[in-house]
Amino acid sequence: MRVADVLQFAWQVLRGSVSRTLLILLAMGIGVAAVVVVTALGEGARLYVANQFGSLGSNLIIVLPGRSETAGAMPGVLIGKTPRDMTLEDALALKRSHAIRRFAPLIVGAGDVRAGGRSRETPVLGSTADLMDIRHMEVAQGSFLPRVDPRHSQPVCVVGAKVANELFGSRSALGEWVRIGDRRFRVIGILSAQGQSLGFNTDEIVIVPLAAAQALFNTEALFRILVEAKSREQISAAQSDVEDIMRLRHEGERDVTVITQDAVLATFDRILRALTLTVASIAAISLAVAGILIMNVMLIAVTQRRREIGLLKALGATGPQIRLLFFTEAMLLALGGAAAGLAVGQLGSNVAVQMYPTIPFQAPWWALIAAPAIAMFTAVLFTLAPARRAAQLDPVQALSRR
Amino acid sequence: MIRLNGIARTFLVGGEEVHALRDVDLEITHGEYLSIMGPSGSGKSTLLNIVGLLDRPDAGSYELDGRKVTALNDDELARVRREKIGFVFQFFHLVPRLTAVQNIELPMVLAGIDPAERRRRLDRLLAEYGLEARAGHRPDQLSGGQCQRVAIARAMSMGPTVILADEPTGNLDRHTGQEVLSVLERVHQNGGTVIIVTHDPEIGARSHRRLRMLDGAIVGDERG
Repeated sequence: MRVADVLQFAWQVLRGSVSRTLLILLAMGIGVAAVVVVTALGEGARLYVANQFGSLGSNLIIVLPGRSETAGAMPGVLIGKTPRDMTLEDALALKRSHAIRRFAPLIVGAGDVRAGGRSRETPVLGSTADLMDIRHMEVAQGSFLPRVDPRHSQPVCVVGAKVANELFGSRSALGEWVRIGDRRFRVIGILSAQGQSLGFNTDEIVIVPLAAAQALFNTEALFRILVEAKSREQISAAQSDVEDIMRLRHEGERDVTVITQDAVLATFDRILRALTLTVASIAAISLAVAGILIMNVMLIAVTQRRREIGLLKALGATGPQIRLLFFTEAMLLALGGAAAGLAVGQLGSNVAVQMYPTIPFQAPWWALIAAPAIAMFTAVLFTLAPARRAAQLDPVQALSRR
Repeated sequence: MIRLNGIARTFLVGGEEVHALRDVDLEITHGEYLSIMGPSGSGKSTLLNIVGLLDRPDAGSYELDGRKVTALNDDELARVRREKIGFVFQFFHLVPRLTAVQNIELPMVLAGIDPAERRRRLDRLLAEYGLEARAGHRPDQLSGGQCQRVAIARAMSMGPTVILADEPTGNLDRHTGQEVLSVLERVHQNGGTVIIVTHDPEIGARSHRRLRMLDGAIVGDERG
């Protein structure tokens, strides 16, 4: 049989029973569309998280005091934590590395911030001028912390947009004095509203010079050192530089933890990818259901069309030809369903983007290939049995029954 | 051309063996017009199915155009059937969703004949069986006689060695039956071999060779 004839024959069968064809197309279409939409949502979430991390700063390395490790005896219990504080001098020593562009030591505490009659409890950050560039912060009014020796304290502070609004209302906060604990600071800058970025709201903080924070919270120990590598390629060099410098300064002990942004991002990436795959495979079950539907319909077709199959055999159709006709029919159904499903899925993704413009919903390429491929595969798989049955039909019996 | 030797066919019906054919010997030469008659269950349809390669004998040998076909597998049989056998059934067995011309074309489609050649043969067949005006109609838009003419045209489309007709007039009124019969006789006059299974003695009388069957055996073989 010629390919064109096989296709035409199958097409005539499908056109002969429109409602049956439409129902299967619907089932297949829903399956494919489900996979496309679900993966689009998952991929969108993954890209969203990646963007959020990007907004934290680029080529970022975070240095934490102490080194967490679990050891032997009791599982899950941290042993050997924080033998030594991380100090400003440790941070300043990082200047020696060529892979590091800039760094910002960080102290975090909670402070009672008062201005006039109002008071508010906010997180207080002690840091240096470089924090602004590292964390991609923007100043709406005034200026950021002055670029001076971080060992010396100055009575100035930069406040978040929300804090400024709550303490001073519609008055300009710039140049006003605020009291944090028992110290007074002059407001020299107001951060522009950036909102939440991975659990840390820059609108609700007050930033003071590092030395001021050290005095305020009465501690020398740094909470973190944020380090920016010179380039993406230099991240690992910067990371090992940090580790080496810290070890040298801490008598050969590597008692800090160095996290790269990439590593954190990669972890999130892995988690979200796994999540997407899991949900997508659940959606793919609907494809299997559609496949079973095809099998059902084909089995019914073998019974309903037994006279026709018997006739085809009497007219000289071989077993392989009969099977080919059934497979072609199933493939056409799967193709149609896949096309419809892809269209609906893309439409769904577009609607989702319309509704949540910040999240880039777009099904990944592998889903756009895998969904139709699985549809074809199940169609063929589930047509095996019906096609075999049709090919084995005894023509004498098939033709004799009315 | 057709040579059957010691053909036997047994069916198992409800645990009981039924001998549909016992030790049948038959020789049919090219261009014969032959009828097979006999009561129901005498084995005439089984004989027709075996000659038409739809069924296999349990014993005996069958030679078609000098080729032993008893040893062929199912797919080889299908190919021989396609080339050499044309079937005409009592209930027409047209594919309801296909037009008359598509039904006639079916064996040629299965054989993979190229469309230009198919077109040529179709034109000739439609003209020969007076179906030009009905070519685009589906079976449910055709009369019984027209359906059977379509079936005969389909049977002839591959230029078969033999036409096997199983009660071809059994589902038609007398007048239409006569008409269909004369179409089959024209096939014979053009040199074709025609075998008709029938109940109707009148049809039997028109044929040139009459086989009578009883209980799975040929009990009469008249010519003239």
